[in-house]
Amino acid sequence: MTAPAQHVTLAAETSTGGLLLWVVLPYVCLAVFVLGHIWRYRYDKFGWTTRSSQLYERRLLRIGSPLFHFGILVVLLGHIGGLVIPKSWTEAAGISEHVYHIGAVFLGTIAGVCTLGGLTILIYRRRTVGPVFSATTRNDKAMYVSLTLTIALGLAATVAANTVGGGYDYRETISPWFRSVFYFQPDPDLMTGAPVLFQLHALSALLLFAAWPFTRLVHMLTAPVGYLTRPYVVYRSRDTHLGARAPRRGWERSGT
Amino acid sequence: MDGELAEALVRSRRFFTRAEVSDDLRTLHRKGGRQADEFYRDRWSHDKVVRSTHGVNCTGSCSWKVYVKDGIITWEAQQTDYPSVGPDRPEYEPRGCPRGAAFSWYTYSPTRVRYPYVRGVLLQMYREAKARLGDPVAAWADVVADPERARRYKAARGKGGLVRASWDEAVELVAAAHVHTIKEYGPDRLAGFSPIPAMSMVSHAAGARFYSLLGGAMLSFYDWYADLPVASPQVFGDQTDVPESGDWWDAGYLIMWGSNLPVTRTPDAHWMAEARYRGQKVVAVAPDYADNVKFADEWLPAQPGTDGALAMAMGHVVLKEFFVDRRTEYFASYVKRYTDLPFLVVLDEAEGDPGTYAPGKFLTAADLGGEAATAEHAEFRTVLLDAATGRPVVPNGTLGDRYGDSGAGKWNLDLGDTDPLLSAEGGGEAPVAVTLPRFDTPDGGAARLRRGVPVRRVAGRLVTTVYDLLLAQYGVAREGLPGRWPSSYEDAAEPYTPAWQAAITGVDAARAARIAREFAANAEESGGRSMIIMGAGTNHWFHSDTIYRAFLTLTTLTGCQGVNGGGWAHYVGQEKVRPITGYSAIATAADWNRPARQMIQTAYWYLHADQFRYDPFSADTLAAGGSGTGPFAGKTTADVIAQSARMGWMPSYPTFDRNPLDLAADAEAAGRPVAEHVVEELKAGRLRFAGEDPDAPENFPRVLTIWRANLLGSSAKGNEYFLKHLLGTDASVRAAEAPPDARPRDVVWREEAPEGKLDLLLTLDFRMTSTTIFSDVVLPAATWYEKHDLSSTDMHPFVHAFNPAIAPPWQTRTDWDAFHTLAEEFSRQAADHLGVRRDVVAAPLLHDTPDEMANPHGRVRDWKAGECEPVPGRTMPKLITVERDYGAVAEKMGALGPLLDTHGATTKGVTFEVGRELEYLRHKNGTVRGGAGDGRPSIARDTHACEAILALSGTTNGHLATQGFHTLEARTGTQLADLAAEHGGKQITFADTQAAPVPVITSPEWSGSETGGRRYSPFTVNVERLKPWHTLTGRQHFYLDHDWIAALGEHLPVYRPPLNMTALFDEPHVGDTGELGVTVRYLTPHNKWSIHSEYQDNLFMLSLSRGGPTIWMSKEDAAKVGVRDNDWVEAVNRNGVVAARAIVSHRMPEGTVYMHHAQDRLIDVPRTETTGRRGGIHNSLTRLLIKPSHLIGGYAQLSYAFNYLGPTGNQRDEVTVIRRRGNQEVTY
Repeated sequence: MTAPAQHVTLAAETSTGGLLLWVVLPYVCLAVFVLGHIWRYRYDKFGWTTRSSQLYERRLLRIGSPLFHFGILVVLLGHIGGLVIPKSWTEAAGISEHVYHIGAVFLGTIAGVCTLGGLTILIYRRRTVGPVFSATTRNDKAMYVSLTLTIALGLAATVAANTVGGGYDYRETISPWFRSVFYFQPDPDLMTGAPVLFQLHALSALLLFAAWPFTRLVHMLTAPVGYLTRPYVVYRSRDTHLGARAPRRGWERSGT
Repeated sequence: MDGELAEALVRSRRFFTRAEVSDDLRTLHRKGGRQADEFYRDRWSHDKVVRSTHGVNCTGSCSWKVYVKDGIITWEAQQTDYPSVGPDRPEYEPRGCPRGAAFSWYTYSPTRVRYPYVRGVLLQMYREAKARLGDPVAAWADVVADPERARRYKAARGKGGLVRASWDEAVELVAAAHVHTIKEYGPDRLAGFSPIPAMSMVSHAAGARFYSLLGGAMLSFYDWYADLPVASPQVFGDQTDVPESGDWWDAGYLIMWGSNLPVTRTPDAHWMAEARYRGQKVVAVAPDYADNVKFADEWLPAQPGTDGALAMAMGHVVLKEFFVDRRTEYFASYVKRYTDLPFLVVLDEAEGDPGTYAPGKFLTAADLGGEAATAEHAEFRTVLLDAATGRPVVPNGTLGDRYGDSGAGKWNLDLGDTDPLLSAEGGGEAPVAVTLPRFDTPDGGAARLRRGVPVRRVAGRLVTTVYDLLLAQYGVAREGLPGRWPSSYEDAAEPYTPAWQAAITGVDAARAARIAREFAANAEESGGRSMIIMGAGTNHWFHSDTIYRAFLTLTTLTGCQGVNGGGWAHYVGQEKVRPITGYSAIATAADWNRPARQMIQTAYWYLHADQFRYDPFSADTLAAGGSGTGPFAGKTTADVIAQSARMGWMPSYPTFDRNPLDLAADAEAAGRPVAEHVVEELKAGRLRFAGEDPDAPENFPRVLTIWRANLLGSSAKGNEYFLKHLLGTDASVRAAEAPPDARPRDVVWREEAPEGKLDLLLTLDFRMTSTTIFSDVVLPAATWYEKHDLSSTDMHPFVHAFNPAIAPPWQTRTDWDAFHTLAEEFSRQAADHLGVRRDVVAAPLLHDTPDEMANPHGRVRDWKAGECEPVPGRTMPKLITVERDYGAVAEKMGALGPLLDTHGATTKGVTFEVGRELEYLRHKNGTVRGGAGDGRPSIARDTHACEAILALSGTTNGHLATQGFHTLEARTGTQLADLAAEHGGKQITFADTQAAPVPVITSPEWSGSETGGRRYSPFTVNVERLKPWHTLTGRQHFYLDHDWIAALGEHLPVYRPPLNMTALFDEPHVGDTGELGVTVRYLTPHNKWSIHSEYQDNLFMLSLSRGGPTIWMSKEDAAKVGVRDNDWVEAVNRNGVVAARAIVSHRMPEGTVYMHHAQDRLIDVPRTETTGRRGGIHNSLTRLLIKPSHLIGGYAQLSYAFNYLGPTGNQRDEVTVIRRRGNQEVTY
């Protein structure tokens, strides 16, 4: 199944623009994402927080937050399935493109609606609940715009492809491109032919990743998954030195 | 575990970790990883802990631990090492409140003054003039003498434009201003203001000493703040002496009356809460549901300002049930010995009402004739009747025994065999009717009561006792007396029944009677352990002296004064400098020259901020006889102030309309003694008192220095008048000047009201305040955590130290250093410009000296009216010549001068010989080499000053305490010295106070006893050792017989309602609602989120409170004008405008709003809709109103002493119109 030719694309063939958008930008963004987190972890360890606003409002949060978070988790799994796992693997497992597509659209729609619905509640809450809005920084606002845009574009691309064109097989173009970035053999040509909404979705996602380390989204990397398996009480053994702190240089025990 | 799923999950942990999961799945054991703790450990680690406290007038005087890390002050915590108060009672520790715990914010805050600042436009002019003229003094003179340039820099005050300057340049300019002012106008045109020395006495003394050496006037603060209860001198002859908070525990019955203990006495409030578990009953009287109310067993919500009515009704109940219906032995024996109740008062026939009498003067020995009349000071020996013989007796202990040879050994309360008659009943004379004033009419005007008293005839005069008059006043009927009396407690028409008060205060009559009964019954059973804690809520009123006298009647009738756990406990800005003698000597520079100029600040600003120009009524408006009668007829308040000054009753600086240095020089040139010269000039009319023409340029105050204070953000009642007339900058005064027929008679009225009287406003502070922004020069000061000093309070019996946790940062300096710097530069400039001059100081007639016998019977004699000759020290101020070596001021500052050797140091009439102490200080502090102070003990450093204060005071030096008691014993003839004997050899050193708070020693400087570790309660020495009070009778006074008191109808406790602002100033009635808003009472009580050493601008406090300017309103008032919580509102009256946010609270009573005191204009104060200018502070709506009776002097206990007596700067009677702002979007 090949894509119909009527898809509008940003560029018809590889050009400097394509190179910048689909090779340079991804690497810059991913580098900022990785290094940014390292930097943040080293220099702003105590600022590594979700900046929870639960204290200010909990009724809306109780609905919006799980809806959004579980939705986005499913979306994440869907992206892993669609981008990371090659089409050949699923086909080898006997899953036809059609079956895959049906599954993807079905799950994706539920997850997308949950995510977008949750996000809408959260944004509504953030704007209308006074104390929450007061606790909202400019950084937060920029992050919300970026996040919402990315999600909306992703959803729009899917919806548009399915309603207008009867589906677009991104596993032929976008997924290989995505993987090619990580192989360090980036192939911008794969992207230049993708529909513009998919392109925009990818671009906005890249920018979101670049901003990621500098926003409250860092909490994603430290989601307390370990709590699922952790016993209630944690003991840590003492270190060998006396007192609660490591001795400063020149003040170590003389070893007698 | 929580189920199988959880268990399965935890079991799976082993796949993810090297740490060991216990078999029961409850614990996880990890190796290492504790380095993460270091952050937290570091957060709370520190290099050192330094003891300090918070200064100025937070009366808490809590000792704090200040933590320092890497040279940075990090935080503070409460000290816990107060000496124990003994078994079976709570301790002083913990002590400290959230405000104190927030203080360290200031050290590095954005509001910190780090460098000297000078008003830019002034600095430019000064630099230009100095470049041209070459001399600082000439340059200053050049700038201020030019009206245009002077107007320009004065008009710039408060509008920004402060620029950084060096210390050298700023101090040079300031010194030049001082030199020029002294030379041109005289030293008494300089004024210094710094309040409440007790909680940082060395910092206060620094500037006070400087000004006292120059001859400048130090302005009073206790009366100015309206914290001074004038009833205290009136009744006790003592400046506020009150129990320490530990003594609340001793009380069996406690009334909190207008005092919000948890808010304003936070570190002490625990005693009140704890004492309830001991069975104490606690009653709160407050108009609002204040924080303290919830601690109380009962709440009496009396309307604001009507507390006197409630207290009068309670007094009625006590007198009726415990004196008349049933004679209570404890009360009767107490009042006979310790009060003036048995003393005889002459009845004079009332004018225009034959057959009716008016209470007159105390009968004295002089009236008795015969041998008694020839006794020394016979006119000051009051008389009572002996029950056994019915004959008049002059008992020991009256004022007549206090001075002179004949009274030696007799000034005591020992009645011998005499049993005083309380009532004149049974003398055979027919009772007579007396006329007594009442002020409970709806408009607050005067009316009369006619009630009878039993009488006797003594030495040809019709007399009765104070007790009989008191019963008549309170309306407690006895058989066979003429006049109208209440028929019962339910009689609402006749004062002063419980039902009568209910209509005024809103407190249920039966409850008021019951509380009174309980209060007295507890006192009877416990021997006087009923206490009233009274506060600003009742003390800041115009007529608070009458309110307090009604309170004190309750505590005195019931024998509670001078008893541990009983009596009055007035906690309003008290300032007990426990080591008072040493502090006073240093602060007034009494070691170099005497007397210092000390001024009553209320009168000072009433005149110099030109508030007198806006009084459209005469002083007799408040008189008992109504307008147009009595000694105040036709006089305005300004006239009364001038009269009080020229009669020597109250101080007045600037004194004359001429430079006092020139006066002394003129006298010398004329070859006459200075005093004689001045009297001649006054009589000839060539010389006048400056207070008689306060708007003449030669009589302006020229230089004002403020330190440890925020005059224009905190205490300046009539703030807008200050801005307009004193400073000459933008102001929002809306009042009209008095019409021609209401203007002063004796005081000169100048058509053009001066603006910008002050040439230099200098402020030393560590933070930017409403005062610094109006100042011409701001010098950066050290905070409480950056200097050495001493702190004491009357809330606890300890002295303890301030210590620098860090050296003063940036270019800040301690007050001690700053004033020494200023003194050095001043001396350098003055050596040429001034040299050695003679100064004539006009000193008022002083309390605790023979001066208080200047006016027998409290009769007014005005030499200017030709009623007597002007005789310095009798009918006019004492005129004392003082030599001032202006080039040696700095040298004298740093050395203890020779007058202490020759004259000792005197407190409350007891002179201490301090030769031994000076010798000790020579070794402790070292001696000065060279200069004026050569060979004298050094006080060059603040620590030296601390040592000197401690060594020169009885409370901290057992030797002096014992010596002082021996001196006093010679006068009283009773045993006293044993009170201090246990500490006879004890000298508290500064090092002791640095180590821990140190309990003080019982000393004649105060009236209570700490002997044997007992809790301090005032007057216990008087009661237990029969030492007289410092009053006319030597007893506590219910009755005052001064002419002016009589004119106001306040012989006896009486109810006077809040001032009627509608009648006086044409303000709308309270409750009126119109398009301009609703009219409400405007009160400025204390803030929960600030205190006077930790202010509203502190970020922590702003965060805890709503932040920014706020006004509290009731729901009812808010509804009337459509105000919702947090709306911007505007309050407007004739004095000014305030913009603030409304806090609408059910806690507030209808008809009253609160704007908390001292919300600085720097914090979120927007422009007002009314004027478009930045919108005011709490004092923008207030102004000064002076009660004439506060100006009385020269008569027994009604004699002046600094902060002992003076007109109060009251502000509670004010009203305002408040409305919602049309535009809720404010601009700054």
